[in-house]
Amino acid sequence: MSTEPNGEPSQGAPQPKEQSSKSIQPPKGEKTGTAETPNALSGEKKLSGAELKKKAKEEKAAKRALAKASKEVAKGEAAVSSSPGQLGPSAGEVKGNKKGKQDATATAGSGAGGRPTPNRATPSMVAEQKATIPECFSHLPMAKRLPMTQADKSVHPAVLALGQQMATFTIDESINRLRATLLAFKRVIASYSTPAGHTLARHFTPHVLGPQIDYLTSCRPMCFSMGNAIRWLKLQISKIDMDSKEEDAKRDLCRAIDNFITERITAADEVITESGAKHIENGDVVLVYGRSSLVERTLLCAYSFGTNFSVFVIDDPYERAGQLLAKTLAAEGIKVTYCGDFGGLINHMRHATKVLFAADAMFSNGAMYARAGACDVALAANELEKEVITLCETINITERVATDSLTYNEIDPERCSAEAFRLLFDTTPVKYLNALITELGCVASKSAPILLRKLEEFN
Amino acid sequence: MPIAAIEALIEVLGQSQVATVAETIDLVETQSAKLQCAVTNSIALSHGTHLFRQYLVMSLKQPGPEGKETSTQKNFDIVRQHLLRNGRLFAQRAKNARERIAVNGRRHIHDGETILTYGGSRVVGTLLGRAAEKHDFGHFVDDPIRFKVIYAIDPALETESNKVIAALRAKGVPVATIPATAVSYAMSKVDMVIVGADAVTANGGIIARLGTFQIAQLAKENKKQFVVAAEQHKFGKTFPCGQFDYGFDQGVIDFRAGSTSTSYNKIPKETLAKPIDYTKPDYVNMFIADHKVLTPSEVAKEVIDMLL
Repeated sequence: MSTEPNGEPSQGAPQPKEQSSKSIQPPKGEKTGTAETPNALSGEKKLSGAELKKKAKEEKAAKRALAKASKEVAKGEAAVSSSPGQLGPSAGEVKGNKKGKQDATATAGSGAGGRPTPNRATPSMVAEQKATIPECFSHLPMAKRLPMTQADKSVHPAVLALGQQMATFTIDESINRLRATLLAFKRVIASYSTPAGHTLARHFTPHVLGPQIDYLTSCRPMCFSMGNAIRWLKLQISKIDMDSKEEDAKRDLCRAIDNFITERITAADEVITESGAKHIENGDVVLVYGRSSLVERTLLCAYSFGTNFSVFVIDDPYERAGQLLAKTLAAEGIKVTYCGDFGGLINHMRHATKVLFAADAMFSNGAMYARAGACDVALAANELEKEVITLCETINITERVATDSLTYNEIDPERCSAEAFRLLFDTTPVKYLNALITELGCVASKSAPILLRKLEEFN
Repeated sequence: MPIAAIEALIEVLGQSQVATVAETIDLVETQSAKLQCAVTNSIALSHGTHLFRQYLVMSLKQPGPEGKETSTQKNFDIVRQHLLRNGRLFAQRAKNARERIAVNGRRHIHDGETILTYGGSRVVGTLLGRAAEKHDFGHFVDDPIRFKVIYAIDPALETESNKVIAALRAKGVPVATIPATAVSYAMSKVDMVIVGADAVTANGGIIARLGTFQIAQLAKENKKQFVVAAEQHKFGKTFPCGQFDYGFDQGVIDFRAGSTSTSYNKIPKETLAKPIDYTKPDYVNMFIADHKVLTPSEVAKEVIDMLL
């Protein structure tokens, strides 16, 4: 597996650094047509006429294929799409952008002005991405910044905004993404009214919820907890009594979502934080990797209990979020040691007594899905017989199984070029993990499937 | 200790005038907390009280007679009476557990084997004692198993150990006693290690007399079976992360300097009367419980099913 050795995107990503950090685009960003039109245009000019033509052709072909395949594309799409496509990407894109901006601010979601074809960029981008990523990794998804104009007309403005935040990694942690998604869906439900001749239970999921989910997924691949929650939401919708009033049904749904957020996220976090903090004892040196809000809160909670411990932060060299964690903890008065990368990891591990992780997801074989690098840290901890504790809300436990890091993963959109790319996650085998702390209690990591079954019994 | 706690709780319940489900649970919880405050090492105790609480919740959840909710006043009284009667049965069953462990464990001891044991566990004593007896199943009779026992002695537990040793020798079982320091030396002569436990943790590890962990490590090193005999009421949701995560200080490690006295820190002094250690599930091959024989991961599953 080829990942980039250093943080700088090497070849194939011609944009200056500031731009790549501001707007996350695949290397050849000119066709994504983001809001930053001048940049897109300057990228455009470098291409020769022949290249342009070729690209336009490819784009058109891909679009046709997609139009045939997907049902969600609007009826008149084929007719409209052909003409701007021939104008060449630059002109068409700029036009679309201007119009799109107005749409987004004024009447987004109403779909009246959504003429510039909905799924415009998707096919071309997919084709492009496949070209840069080797065939064997083509199953791995990547977040991309879809212009709002290219979203389906039925996507709600709240979801549109959320999609952008997810694509730019402004909302990054899976539990925060889940919470934001549910809150956005609540607004979708609130603004929904059932068309005549339909019922909410039958109409909402396929015609309203579906496009929202598709849009979010195209912005950034869904995390496991979102999958779990959406399955739950669909179940709730299907349970709605056909005869109940629409207002009542909507109110009940919103209330159910609120309860879900309270139970599975807010309260769960509190319970986990507290029980995690209880496992930290006087004199402990807790080693953490990167920054996770759950770990941060757990450490702060342990400190508030009066426990005398210190923290060793090993940072992810690609994100440096651990610096924030180190600053927060140090500001509170906790003794913190910071290391920016894996240099001397095994030596640092010798000084640690415990390792604390927050999982993005737990597979049902007990393996942990977390920020890339977590497995290396866990391996080192296991080598030195250190206790490895994982914090995870039960909503993050998935019934899927992974034994390697390539079955489920995500490509870092900022570090993806023709010859190298970086993955965002890795899978830590269960043998390197000791305890799993969820809101249901502290169990052995390999008991994850039992928790899952237990949860099913509750429902 | 867990059984004593359960019996005390039943007694409290019998004396009290609670009238609702919530009150009952509340009463049990406050009384359990009181019991736990009274002892330093409350792990085994908490396992017992927690099991009883869970049993109460389960019974109260069930619909009363005529399939009505227990929340109605009349039904609650009926359920309560039923509960008190069953509660005593519950305690009685827990007391009989040792005999059932002996029956379950018997088939795992074979002729000609040498068993190493440690500590003063009554469960292990009963198990070994019954294995040396003729066992009448009714339709067929099992002859006594001819095995030998190596008993590792902890000086602090001599009286308990001596009782077990005397009983075994009386039944014709050859018993050798060795100091706990000679376990490694004797391990090559051993086929199986059987120990008891104070408590069984949520991940399938055990909390037992100080010294059990090192015997478990020696058994694993020598590729010998390490078997734990423990009743089901010892299972609980404690989950220690390491040897020092019990929620109380044992005072086993006591640094000193500058003192002219050469006296080393004898363990019972200034420490807990019965110090414990924690053995990870990786070191345990098998649990012999009163209801069945399980692996550590099955124990973890049972704990989650029972108590979470």
